[in-house]
Amino acid sequence: MKVLIIEDEPALRASIQEYLEHQGYVCELAADFPQAIDKVNEFDYDCIVADIGLPKGSGLDIVKELKFLEAKAGIIIISAKDSLEDKLKGLELGADDYLTKPFHLSELNARVNAILRRKNFEGNTTVSFYEITIKPASKTVLVHNKSITLTGKEYQLLLYFIANQHRVVTKSALAGHLWGDEYDQAGSYDFIYTHIKNLRKKMLEAGGEDYIKTVYGTGYRFG
Amino acid sequence: MEKIISKQYTERVTGSGKINTMKLLTKTTVYFLLIMLPVFTAGAFYLYTKFNKEIKHETDEELVNDKLQWMRYLDSASVNNPVFSINTPEFNLQPTEKAAQSKHKLKGVSIYQEPENTYAPFRQLTQVITLNNKNYELVLRKSLIEKDDLIRNIVHVMLAAFGGLLAFVLLSNWLISKRIWKPFYRSLDQIQKLQLNKLEALVFERTATHEFNQLNAALGSMTSRIHQDYTSMKELTEDAAHEMQTPLAIAQSKLELLLQDDTLSESQQQSILTSYDELQRLSRLNHNLLLLAKIENQQFPVTEAPDLCKVVEKYLSLFEELIKEKELDIHTDMADTAPWPLHPALTDILVSNLLGNAIKYNYPQGKIRIKITTDTFSVTNTSQLPEIPANELFQRFKKHSSGYTNSNGLGLAIVKKMADSYHFHLSYQYQNGEHTFTTGA
Repeated sequence: MKVLIIEDEPALRASIQEYLEHQGYVCELAADFPQAIDKVNEFDYDCIVADIGLPKGSGLDIVKELKFLEAKAGIIIISAKDSLEDKLKGLELGADDYLTKPFHLSELNARVNAILRRKNFEGNTTVSFYEITIKPASKTVLVHNKSITLTGKEYQLLLYFIANQHRVVTKSALAGHLWGDEYDQAGSYDFIYTHIKNLRKKMLEAGGEDYIKTVYGTGYRFG
Repeated sequence: MEKIISKQYTERVTGSGKINTMKLLTKTTVYFLLIMLPVFTAGAFYLYTKFNKEIKHETDEELVNDKLQWMRYLDSASVNNPVFSINTPEFNLQPTEKAAQSKHKLKGVSIYQEPENTYAPFRQLTQVITLNNKNYELVLRKSLIEKDDLIRNIVHVMLAAFGGLLAFVLLSNWLISKRIWKPFYRSLDQIQKLQLNKLEALVFERTATHEFNQLNAALGSMTSRIHQDYTSMKELTEDAAHEMQTPLAIAQSKLELLLQDDTLSESQQQSILTSYDELQRLSRLNHNLLLLAKIENQQFPVTEAPDLCKVVEKYLSLFEELIKEKELDIHTDMADTAPWPLHPALTDILVSNLLGNAIKYNYPQGKIRIKITTDTFSVTNTSQLPEIPANELFQRFKKHSSGYTNSNGLGLAIVKKMADSYHFHLSYQYQNGEHTFTTGA
């Protein structure tokens, strides 16, 4: 899977690259608008992560160029501006997702993952992790080929964990993913623990391994 | 904002004492009429004296003419040599011992009128004449009774003229205000409806009046200057917030990667996590400050009226876990629909801030009551926190409790700013350990 990261801040570009490469993606980098245009014209990518505010151009114009080229790459816009207009404009131009800076790398990765799943196999694919098989089209989860019933939140949690397998995922990232940005209005996110506990229980009951490791007080690691 | 400006303005104008304000045109009309009143009175007086003089003159001429006629007649009648003695109000001829006069005398007299029991004005001609060597006093009189009619007529004419002029002035003023003052009122209307974010689109048309063009030019340059300042302020705020998000994103991503290191000790990991969470808090703070600025700048136009009941239901399900965890008892009393004229993003923030606070500051097994009518929305919650002092209620960064690290002290300030900017009221009551926030149109 080839991902193009278009981001002018070298440090952020490197972070995204490091995280995504660790999750098994091949990453290419572009630091400004002309570089990005050259790359999208020359190569095919599965997913493109594009910053809006770029030197010598706008990320939105890259979206336009990709649509003009009829590229099949999924597009995620990342922007420092939490502006509704930019978001709507980006999605209208044909971007698949919009993420506001600062974001959790695990969240970006989960979104890249979801887009690739949708794009490449029109959703008719399975996500597997050892004995666990997920069929996103029907939202079913199999453990040792035996179907288990998960709540909506537990299902989202499992997909997120598998996308970010072997990585420490913080509670705030999980809360943000499951409840959106408003969760912080209401205070703590300790209640995530209940969902984790239930998910773990259901997996164990179906004869699966306990892949969810608690990392001190920090968060969780799957696998 | 425009309302606030105009209110302050009115306060300033009326503050220095009671001033009766009226339209410019009404004012000029009143002044015009006040000036015209003495002019008309003087005119009437002048006309009266002039006519009076003229009538006297005419009557006198007639009297002289009559005298000549009578003299001619008496001269011819004197053949038989009688002694004349005639006495009528109009004609009086009596023998007299007075010496004959070569010239007649004219004067005004009042003579008693029996039927009306009044005195009527007369002009009188007297002359002692000689007929058949006898002296007679000839008195001729003519009624001036028309004089009263004259005055009445003059007053009538003057009143009619004044009334006509009044009607004419009012009509012409109305027409003038329709035509000449039209561009002025149009500019006024434009300024009254002024919205900061739409200043750019404000164009004052050219008119055929020099003064209005000057006014419009001044207004135009003023608004464009305000617009420039406003835009640069807005850009500065947005750019500053934008520029801050990027380093935050970098630091946060580096910390997230650092967390992946297996060789870290527990305390090192804790330190990283704390920094990571604090960075997020900083970013939320930044986001909320930007939001406050945007609300203040009215950057959320009201284009629709989302149903508040639906928004509340959305957030109740979003906060379901938190409510369950605290075992809160939620009681809702909602109208069927409650369209709220506010930008959907702000409606979300309004509900999530008030509801979020009601959950966050509640105690386990506490209560939350949500009441929505067609134009009010109130959230009541139990809490161990004491009553919030009125002077700190909506202050930025004023935290009303310790131990809630997730609070940035901006939630209520944002709701208050919304209420101020979009003109709905927001009040707070505390009773029996229950805090209630009520908003409404």
